[in-house]
Amino acid sequence: MSLPNVILIIKGLRKVFEGSPPLVALENIDLDIYEGEFLCIVGPSGCGKTTLLRVIAGLEKPTDGEVLLRGRPILGPGPDRVMVFQEHTLFPWRTVLGNVMFGLELKGIPKDKALEAANSYIRLVGLEGFEHMYPHELSGGMRQRVAIARALACDPEMLLMDEPFSALDAQSRNYMQRELMEIWSKTGKTVVFVTHNVEEAIYLGDRIAVLTYRPARLRDVISIELPRPRDRLGQEFIELRAKVLGILKEEMEKAINQKLKPETPRRGKVKP
Amino acid sequence: MKLKKVLVPAASLLLFFSLWEAYYWLLINNPLLLAPPSRVLTTFIELMTGCNPHFYMPLDMVYSLFHYAVGFGLALAVGLSLGLLIGWFRLADEFSYTIIELIRPIPPIAWIPIAILMLGLTHQAASFIIFIGAVFPIILNTKYGVASVEVKYLEAAMTLGATKTSTLIMKVVLPAALPSIMAGLRVASGVAWMCVVAAELFGVAPYGLGYQIEMARLYHAPELVIAYMFAIGVLGFFLDRIYKLIESKVLAWRTGFVLA
Repeated sequence: MSLPNVILIIKGLRKVFEGSPPLVALENIDLDIYEGEFLCIVGPSGCGKTTLLRVIAGLEKPTDGEVLLRGRPILGPGPDRVMVFQEHTLFPWRTVLGNVMFGLELKGIPKDKALEAANSYIRLVGLEGFEHMYPHELSGGMRQRVAIARALACDPEMLLMDEPFSALDAQSRNYMQRELMEIWSKTGKTVVFVTHNVEEAIYLGDRIAVLTYRPARLRDVISIELPRPRDRLGQEFIELRAKVLGILKEEMEKAINQKLKPETPRRGKVKP
Repeated sequence: MKLKKVLVPAASLLLFFSLWEAYYWLLINNPLLLAPPSRVLTTFIELMTGCNPHFYMPLDMVYSLFHYAVGFGLALAVGLSLGLLIGWFRLADEFSYTIIELIRPIPPIAWIPIAILMLGLTHQAASFIIFIGAVFPIILNTKYGVASVEVKYLEAAMTLGATKTSTLIMKVVLPAALPSIMAGLRVASGVAWMCVVAAELFGVAPYGLGYQIEMARLYHAPELVIAYMFAIGVLGFFLDRIYKLIESKVLAWRTGFVLA
């Protein structure tokens, strides 16, 4: 049995946001990400899932610990780890084609080659015929397709996705998940996908990393062996869903109890 | 529909000129004080065709447009670079804020004495006044446009490989700030054109629309004064049209996105 290659190593990662009081977003996270896998990160809302993804993207610097991409520390954002954001971040002054061309232009790829590549990615996400439309003329689902095509056009080592479908209605979301699976199987990219939606995570992921509430620690990593395309109503799917939801519920309750507990005395001040 | 678009403005112009004509003949009737539009029109045609021995308007237009172009061009170069600098770098903004806000309220006319003393009665002096009028709207609109570029676009660009500041500015900041910059340019162009009159009044050259207004007043010829005023209005109108056209071209992506 051949071991899968590790592409990204997260070691003892800790992230604190300065402020009063400082906010510990991530605490002692250890996680290996394998080449070509689809890793989902779930956790209670506001726990720090996005922060973890932003650290991998290089948009946030770790306070402690390290993140190594193929053995090299991540020093900043770069086109080897492209992010697809939750909100709509297509450049409104560029057409669909212009947006997909963005990363290719930056790489200095000759125009005709770039056009060819961009068009092939637009085809891949099923948007041929919309090349010359502007983002505001597209629906939410179509915009996220463009964002995916724009990211893939950079030919990144990893695709980082931050709740990309959370703004879509349930039907478009299911549809986009199916599409994403197809795109992923065609491109073979390593994907890290953050979501608060457990069903989405189980439908998409090879593994699910479950985070705790603040500060986010790694609570569990669950491998999902179900064959694809997955049946959302299948017995095993539903059992897995119950299991992950159970963990999340536990974490949510801990979080609520934490909030309800009387303030622990800090900095010598004691309330009567 | 199309006919209505022509008829309504035409009706308003007709009403305006008839009232003015009536006002002159009924209440003023003195060629040393005011002129009716009919007389202004014939004077205007005379001036444009060279039938007047003392005034030749096309030459004045060229002089005025020249002053405008130099002053506005300078304001464009300075305003865009300064606005970009203080919009992007917090320190540059803090450094320059007070000084800009101190100088900005000084009207361009107040600069005329200094301009004459320093630069003499030259084209440079006239262009300087126009520059002062135009530069501040450009600085401020560029600054606000740049400073209000949403972080999400910058982050998206960075993960797509725009890691150099210059790349971010050229590929993200400038296009994102363009609507604000264009609005600033249009305002600045309007102010610059208004400053042309003030800049030429003090006699930097024997030609120019603003200069001739003052000459015509000395001649006690209101029909000349108004004909020159009219020329300033017409050219200003067309200048604004040109900017509107440029705006709709470079901001074509906003069609249907905002109310134009």
